[in-house]
Amino acid sequence: MNTVFPLDPHPGVLVVGAGVAGLACARDLAHKGIPVTLLDRGRGVGGRCATRRIEGQPVDHGVAFLHGSDPAFLDAVRSVPGATILDGWPSRIEGTGTPCQPDAFAPGERRAAYAEGVTAFPKMMAAGLDVRLVTTVLAMHPDGALWRLDLAGGGTARARFVVLALATEETLALVDGLPPGDLELEGARHLLRMVASSVPCLTVIAGYPADAPAPAWDVAFPETSMILKDVVHDSAKRPDPKWTVLVIQAAARWSRQHAGEPVDAWTQGLLAETARLFGEWAAHPTWTQVRHWQFGRTESGNELAGPLVVEGAGGRTLGITGEVFAEGGGVEAAWTSGRLLAVRLAERTKG
Amino acid sequence: MSEALAHLEEIVDHEREHECEGIGAKRLCVRPVSVAVLPTRFGDFHIVAFWNNRDGKEHVAILRGDVVGREDVPIRMHSECLTGDALGSLRCDCRDQLEAALRKVGSLEFGAVLYLRQEGRGIGLINKVRAYALQDRGLDTVEANRALGFRDDERDYAIAAHMIFSMGMKSVQVMTNNPDKMKQLQDLGVRVTGRIPHVMPPNAYNRFYLETKAARSGHFIDFSGRAHLPEQAEPVVVEGMPEP
Repeated sequence: MNTVFPLDPHPGVLVVGAGVAGLACARDLAHKGIPVTLLDRGRGVGGRCATRRIEGQPVDHGVAFLHGSDPAFLDAVRSVPGATILDGWPSRIEGTGTPCQPDAFAPGERRAAYAEGVTAFPKMMAAGLDVRLVTTVLAMHPDGALWRLDLAGGGTARARFVVLALATEETLALVDGLPPGDLELEGARHLLRMVASSVPCLTVIAGYPADAPAPAWDVAFPETSMILKDVVHDSAKRPDPKWTVLVIQAAARWSRQHAGEPVDAWTQGLLAETARLFGEWAAHPTWTQVRHWQFGRTESGNELAGPLVVEGAGGRTLGITGEVFAEGGGVEAAWTSGRLLAVRLAERTKG
Repeated sequence: MSEALAHLEEIVDHEREHECEGIGAKRLCVRPVSVAVLPTRFGDFHIVAFWNNRDGKEHVAILRGDVVGREDVPIRMHSECLTGDALGSLRCDCRDQLEAALRKVGSLEFGAVLYLRQEGRGIGLINKVRAYALQDRGLDTVEANRALGFRDDERDYAIAAHMIFSMGMKSVQVMTNNPDKMKQLQDLGVRVTGRIPHVMPPNAYNRFYLETKAARSGHFIDFSGRAHLPEQAEPVVVEGMPEP
């Protein structure tokens, strides 16, 4: 854990959350010569753009593929150095259930994945940036013309500019602790409550011998299942995979109902449903791993048009961004909202 | 069949396979897909329905006379507003503005109303209702409105510019009180030859514009004490008001 900051107060912008929104914001600020430090409670950057290596094989257990229509975003996706882009992945789609972002397969949308795993994208954005991992922000307070962040482990960090690039619920938890009285902040807080719509997602990663009867699809959206949101044939993204890997993601309602149960119980539940839909073989993986995404994704219809910038006394400024702060949701929206916020903050840091 | 309709049908036929690189930073492309006669209470028009490369929103052009190959075509860009246009909401001026545009264009030899399906100034009906809800609570703040999508003009202009190109209009005169709209269209390659002020006739619902001065961050307060958000992205002008 690194809670020692070279400068107090921080001379530029502290960005809380090194997911795609936070990284996109920080990267653009850094390009403009503004000092930026990112704080993230995780062990790696990217948030839900998450890849694990299991026996040497990458597995994407959050976001399965990137999609978007903004030419600038697509250029960024295609320009990850050293990564093998799988343009157009997934191309084999099974079922007509709902993808995470309903527009993922709309006209004009392009899709892509990486043979090395989806974290290639956030890792590219984090290159050269000051990122403090395993650094959890517990609370924030106004401190004269600055913000003070209380960190887990007892440290603090102060800056005039703070960006919250978190799940809306996490942002609310920090913002709700702030003193009342500021109309702009009240408006922002109320708006955050209106759009807070993150839903959990229980995820099972299941590994089968490479000679298992691998499915003929890349992603399945089973429309008849009340249990599964989607099943991703993850090993279809890997050249010469050692294991056939399925990433099984539970529907929001089912995730909410079963999150309190022992991990084995919901793992078995998801495997049984996968087997019911796709064949008995799927019930018997050689190994499994799990991930409980507390804020797995946002419900569509809750997106805003842009990030929030709330200015307080003495020029103390709070920026709020994330995937709900741009149209469409998902990684593209996170990226767009982060960049929009960078533009607006850069104007203010000059003053 | 009128000559105007024949010209439009030729365009629809010719553009059947059209899908270009797109216009503006978002590279929007539209394609006229179908055309028909549209008699209305404001005059006789043709309606052209457009496909686009971004979403399922079907933009339409309401055309008067023969605009194909014309110079100086008077056009009005109108952003869809379900609550105002269709339901007659008094929280905005959209219906008055749309009616004034249709009536005006309907009285001309040729012209167009480009009806852009960008509900709530960009990001949708849900967010417009959220903006109203914040307004009702006295939390009508600049930042919240900004985040709610007031507004994504860039997209509207790109769609409108492409529609103008698709319909073969050589140059246009923009019916607007916001000169920035002309510049935006010009930046996208449209030849703009003039501006026509967009003036609404006074009625029981907009008379307060004549009686009150712009108050509270440039918003007009109506008889019920509510601020009117400028949902068509331009200052409202009612007959009898000085031009802004």
